[in-house]
Amino acid sequence: MTAYLAHFLVMVGIYAILALSLNLLIGYSGIFSLAHAAIYGIGAYASALAALKLGVGFWGGMAIAAGVGAFASALVAIPSLRVAGDYYVVASFGLQVVMLAVFMNWTDLTNGHAGLPGIPRPKLFGWVIDQPFEYVFLAAAFAVLTWAICRRLTHSAFGRVLQAIRDDEIAAQAMGKNVVLVKIVIACISSALGAMAGSLYAHYITYINPSSFALHESIFIATLVILGGSERLAGPIVGAFVLLAIPEALKFLAIPDTVAAPMRQIIYGALLIIFMLVRPEGILGRARARAQ
Amino acid sequence: MTAGPAGPIMALEGVARAFGGIRAVEDCSFDVRPGLITGLIGPNGAGKTTVFNLITGFLSADQGSIRLQGRELLGLAPHEVERLGVVRTFQHLRLWGKMTVLENVLLGCATPAGESVFSLFLRAGAVRAEEARARERAMEVLNFFGLTGHAGDFAEDLAYPEQKLLSMARIFATDAPVMLLDEPTSGLDGESLQRIVPMVRRLVDHGKTVLLIEHNMELISELSDQVVFLHQGRVLAAGAPAEITRDPALTEIYFGV
Amino acid sequence: MDLFLQLAATGLVVGSLYVLCALGWGLIYGTTLHFHVAHGAVFTLAAYFAYAGQKLLGLPLAVAVIGAIVAAAVSGMLIDLFIYQPLERRGAIRTTLFIASLGLLTLIENLLAIIFTPDPLRMDVGWLADAVQLGPVFLTRLHLVSMTTAILLFLALMVFLKHSRWGQAIRAVSSSPEMARTVGIDLRRVHLLTYAVGSAISAPAGILIAMDVGVEPYRGTTFVLLASVAVIMGGIGSIPGALLGALFLALLENLGVWKIPSEWQSTISFGVFLVFIVVRPRGFFGRKIQSAEI
Repeated sequence: MTAYLAHFLVMVGIYAILALSLNLLIGYSGIFSLAHAAIYGIGAYASALAALKLGVGFWGGMAIAAGVGAFASALVAIPSLRVAGDYYVVASFGLQVVMLAVFMNWTDLTNGHAGLPGIPRPKLFGWVIDQPFEYVFLAAAFAVLTWAICRRLTHSAFGRVLQAIRDDEIAAQAMGKNVVLVKIVIACISSALGAMAGSLYAHYITYINPSSFALHESIFIATLVILGGSERLAGPIVGAFVLLAIPEALKFLAIPDTVAAPMRQIIYGALLIIFMLVRPEGILGRARARAQ
Repeated sequence: MTAGPAGPIMALEGVARAFGGIRAVEDCSFDVRPGLITGLIGPNGAGKTTVFNLITGFLSADQGSIRLQGRELLGLAPHEVERLGVVRTFQHLRLWGKMTVLENVLLGCATPAGESVFSLFLRAGAVRAEEARARERAMEVLNFFGLTGHAGDFAEDLAYPEQKLLSMARIFATDAPVMLLDEPTSGLDGESLQRIVPMVRRLVDHGKTVLLIEHNMELISELSDQVVFLHQGRVLAAGAPAEITRDPALTEIYFGV
Repeated sequence: MDLFLQLAATGLVVGSLYVLCALGWGLIYGTTLHFHVAHGAVFTLAAYFAYAGQKLLGLPLAVAVIGAIVAAAVSGMLIDLFIYQPLERRGAIRTTLFIASLGLLTLIENLLAIIFTPDPLRMDVGWLADAVQLGPVFLTRLHLVSMTTAILLFLALMVFLKHSRWGQAIRAVSSSPEMARTVGIDLRRVHLLTYAVGSAISAPAGILIAMDVGVEPYRGTTFVLLASVAVIMGGIGSIPGALLGALFLALLENLGVWKIPSEWQSTISFGVFLVFIVVRPRGFFGRKIQSAEI
């Protein structure tokens, strides 16, 4: 039972990082990305491959993951964010589709459907982190770090510019803000953090395959952000807790697997619609308390 | 063009822009002199706002040149134009309604360190000092515009005259020497006009150069030192306000009689 | 050479399905500016309606198909009426609308997966499945029906938009909603009409797939996003552009198979899309979307 709980908490930590990083785009910049699961996957594969083939271990792998994640995102963001918002939705979907194809079909590198086994556990000063409860602390530490980075970014002049761009791009340009550059920078940071979550996941599960990084994962992460309410940093973390608990709860209902998986998706889809109709200020709204 | 003591700070020459078949601005040339208020007037559809959009890089010109102290502005992106020293307001204000008045003005203040991701994480001290300076400066600007009491309010909650002041305040905060004001007096009644009009004068006293679009013929003499009359995208006349407003031919065009 | 011709023919068959999807989606996007990803769900619904009509209700094929097209048109209208219009009345921004649309797509697809299982379900098409030989190229009668349908619906849409009163209203709204409103056009009714027409045009694509290889619950997502790529490439607001963009994509994917393994098809499309928006963001012919008007 403690192992089960520890596993749940590790996953909450990982999804909190994913949601916090995606929220930099959806909540703070008004950019919708459908590629966050792909970025998560890029991080997982980059880190796992670096550890397995280059022997750089968890920390080196994570650094490489962040770099590759930011790079992949830049590749898509630079052409599409130069134009307008909707192009990025399409381009990010493209990245999602392309990366999944890479994970599945570039078998020399990724081992295709069979996936990559034997990813090493993280080591900290020679001490191997392999107990679930130890990993809870590691995941929590990274979630807190991500939270701190996001907080620094959003509670600063940079964050002010992000919000200004989100609310009125034209006015931001007129005030001398390099709108395109800022958007590209935030897309890269968001991806670097998302890729770190992938690295954390890969070295925790020690085995990865493409099915963890499909489109419905991207939608799931977006749901975490929206459900939690995207204007407060704690929102995505709460979202991760609640939404990860739903499938656990469904397990007790003894529903066959073929129904349970789509059932979860139905719940997520319904939540997205209901939130947009009933409580849209959860996202992009005036959720902040009035200043003094 | 009236000869001023100094050369022009900004000069438009032969600027043209068409939308489809419609020539919105054609062969448009005029000078903006430093330390003065230049009024851009003309009937609806004369191309006044298009001229603003061309100067500030929101539209590209088909031909011509716009020079700011010798530097070509055409072809630059809006944020580059701002950095060279030309800022503007919008007819529909475009305030950040869900941000506070203070934040709106802070976005005009220079905060290069705070806007750089590297210094945010690596030069925290510099960022903190800069933010403190920016806040101080923003409060000064708010004080100048008589908005101090509203610093913590959301911009969308201000009354309309105050929103107009804020739209000027936030560009004033940028320290850009040339301010383009798109209809600073539209939609205002007697009493609030008495707040805005002297404020525009005070901008010049603070070393700014102002180019403004004005609809009200009565106010143009009060508001500006020189006037450029635009009609169908062309400069029809330029000179002292009194000459322009007294010219019966121009008045006829303006009122469409 | 024969292989090339066969691939080109297959490309045109797939292209006709992309064309139908892109015409419908592009009409809706160009007119309402809604990034209507739930269009993918409408397209899939149409296929299941047809399947259920034939297999569960025992209707004749033609009746099932026509019924399914009507049902898809109604579904599109209901989405606008009960999801998008309430959101717009509340002044929701476009991202909000997109998220709701994405939620709806997820919801409907998975509902269909529970009701009909995730496995492909085929309709009976009788002699339509017979092969025909055109020179070195083999196709089925159904493939010819696909291409004919795409051409006819394209022409019908062009005529409708140019010459009917309602079509002109749609074009007016598409070029400038403000202007359309000032001349007394009811935007909400035009949007509803657009959803009906757009859904009815794309419905046959879903149904044709159900007849050819079988209907699956999750195919709509890929189709609607390919449609959006086609529409952007063709030029937003341009109907011939959507046709051209869709054909271009399909031919690219299928001719690409000549040299590149087929599992990389989607990689080709999106790679080209990214290059395209750098080189020509306005598309073949059309306007680029502005995030905000000055």
